[in-house]
Amino acid sequence: MMDRRRLLAAGGVVTALALLGACTAGGDNGAKGGNGEVELSFLTFETPNLNAAYWDAAIARASAKVPGVKIKKLVAPSADRTSYVKQLDTSGQMPDIMAAISVSGFAQSDKLATFTPTELNEFVWPYVNTIGGEIYQLPYNTQTIPMVYYNKDQFAKAGITAPPKTYAEFLDVCEKLKAAGTNPIVLGGGGKDTWADMYPLTATVATEVYKGNPEWLADRVAGRKTFAGDPGFVKAVQKVVDLAKKGYIDPVGLSRSYADTEKAFREGKGAMYPMGSWFPASADSDKPGFEIGVFAWPTDDGSLVVPAYTGGGLSVSAKAPDVELAKKWALAFQTDKSNLDAIVKGDGAIIALKNYQPPTEMGPVYKATLAIYDEAVRQNAVTTAFSQENGDASLPPGLADKAALGVQDLITGKKTAVEFAEFLDAEWAKTK
Amino acid sequence: MTATRTHPPAATAPPLEPPAARPPHRRAGRRVGGVGTFTLFGLPSLVLYGYVVLVPIGISVYHSLTNRNPFRPPTRWVGLDNYQKLLVDPGFWKVLTNTIVITVVVTIAANAIGLAVALLLDRRGWLYNLLRGVFFTPVVLSGVVVSVIWQAVLTDDGLLNSTLRGLGVERPPGWLSDPDLALYTLCWIMTWQMIGFCVVVYLAALQGVPADLYEAAAVDGAGPVEKFRHITWPLLAPALTINTVMLLISTFKVYDHVQVITNGGPGDGTTSTIAFDVIQTGLIGNRVGHASAVAVVMLVFVAVVATIVLRLLQRREVTS
Repeated sequence: MMDRRRLLAAGGVVTALALLGACTAGGDNGAKGGNGEVELSFLTFETPNLNAAYWDAAIARASAKVPGVKIKKLVAPSADRTSYVKQLDTSGQMPDIMAAISVSGFAQSDKLATFTPTELNEFVWPYVNTIGGEIYQLPYNTQTIPMVYYNKDQFAKAGITAPPKTYAEFLDVCEKLKAAGTNPIVLGGGGKDTWADMYPLTATVATEVYKGNPEWLADRVAGRKTFAGDPGFVKAVQKVVDLAKKGYIDPVGLSRSYADTEKAFREGKGAMYPMGSWFPASADSDKPGFEIGVFAWPTDDGSLVVPAYTGGGLSVSAKAPDVELAKKWALAFQTDKSNLDAIVKGDGAIIALKNYQPPTEMGPVYKATLAIYDEAVRQNAVTTAFSQENGDASLPPGLADKAALGVQDLITGKKTAVEFAEFLDAEWAKTK
Repeated sequence: MTATRTHPPAATAPPLEPPAARPPHRRAGRRVGGVGTFTLFGLPSLVLYGYVVLVPIGISVYHSLTNRNPFRPPTRWVGLDNYQKLLVDPGFWKVLTNTIVITVVVTIAANAIGLAVALLLDRRGWLYNLLRGVFFTPVVLSGVVVSVIWQAVLTDDGLLNSTLRGLGVERPPGWLSDPDLALYTLCWIMTWQMIGFCVVVYLAALQGVPADLYEAAAVDGAGPVEKFRHITWPLLAPALTINTVMLLISTFKVYDHVQVITNGGPGDGTTSTIAFDVIQTGLIGNRVGHASAVAVVMLVFVAVVATIVLRLLQRREVTS
């Protein structure tokens, strides 16, 4: 009888421990380290450009500047770190510091700490992504999305002597490439990388809509505009439809992942590659067998327009064990010259910090990209990048993914421009 | 004349050795032992089941009756509003249709191919043992691994189309990029993965068919078709039930293949399934109330369909 009781007691204890274990898994935020240090969890994400070695070295440099912090590195399971943060937050495990998440939603529900303008003295565009006037993310990095990277050899073979400046010239270039047997535009977006098909539309929305009205999306958020009700937006979509109809975009390429799309361009399977300004990092460090040029997506009148996203920095949880220390560490991480140089070399970042100069050894594609961006800044010709916006004037959560799927319908001919615009309006309404 | 009963009726015959009455304390001890055994072995499982299955279902049902959005508090009770919206949402009907198509195609195809393969492998010898292992391998792989492998094969620059181009096909099909084809490509990938499961179940059933039935049928002049129709197929009914119900349930909730291979595309909702839509709406779009309603509909749908199919197939087992 005694043995049975012991057995029962043991079974009960094991069950209780198992349930307790399930309740508390991972919930160790804020533990004090061995030397009275505050342990802060830091969510990173890894890409071919931003690998584990990059993050480890960058963390070590920031930690050396801020004593009393012990960083526990977390790695998001995919590039979609925002969804991962949502999952962690749901189970009460929101990281203390997070790299490059979309702050929309987190900010409005008071889950993030705010940065003061004084803390952002060194930043060029401190107010670029404010939500309700508050800064929730360090805007340290600008990415042009997209620019058009092109294969100079294929241009030359098709008799094209210079990159196009107007949209008519761009169509002419596409036609010459097609006639020469070259696929004009390499586009991907297969599998989980659906986002990669957005860039022609991001470009045409910048040239047809945002150039004329930089506050267009704020108007849409306020209900003063709709996608289908705006002829400029429909025209922007129609341009993408026309490119596909004329055979300048190969729909079969839609099955390619982001990595395979870049590989296709590198292997000469197309002459033009609309992509973000992170591409020069790999284009310069691992040169393909041809020269790469770059130009901004052309406008009808030939004026310069460069869509860009600025932000991408660290955010701090409002529930971090020591919010001020976490912010201090985040600022140290984000302003460290070696860290910035590393991300410029590794990811082609255009640093949005005053007095920062990129390493002199940067390659020609990066320098050409930066030159076009700098010229656009001088001409006040930088717009936001459609579907990449952050801050008050941004798409509701989930709508960018829907838009990317809708673009596939445009390219395969399943939706007209008007139907696509109506689709976006309908999906927006569902988020209310 | 009076009949003489030589033996008392069996029903009233006293037992030769009446069972000895067990001491009361022994019976109480057995009852206590039964409760103890249940507590030891049953209760932890029940508590765990309740904790990880029943409680989350209850929470989902509750959320489905609210407008819960973790980023837009406060949460309000909206009653059946989420369900009413589903009824008029073409997007929901599209993902439901996709899910039903995938379920039906995969269940039928995996059963048919699995049965054919099992019949071919129902022989003795090392080669057949090896082939059984080969066919079962995809079953033990995770859906993500299978998806990555097939994605490499089926993309435009993948193994299959490169081979077809090498054979002179100028424009091979866009297995994953053609909106009219992608859903059936997904069906094939899932079928491929599940064939091995069906093969194993059918092989086990085939090995339980008595050989003398075939011998008797041969004596009666039955050929292979008649033997299959009148002996094999009826006796495989329990295996068909297991395969069909398991495939139906596992296919209806498919998420990983869709996420990795097509992300619901190409295009809006072309290959989205209910489980995929729940994740997209709940975790990406933050509409937890709406996503919970979809999840509850999915749960009820699977439970009802699985029960009906199970009953129908079990009835066939009895009659066959």
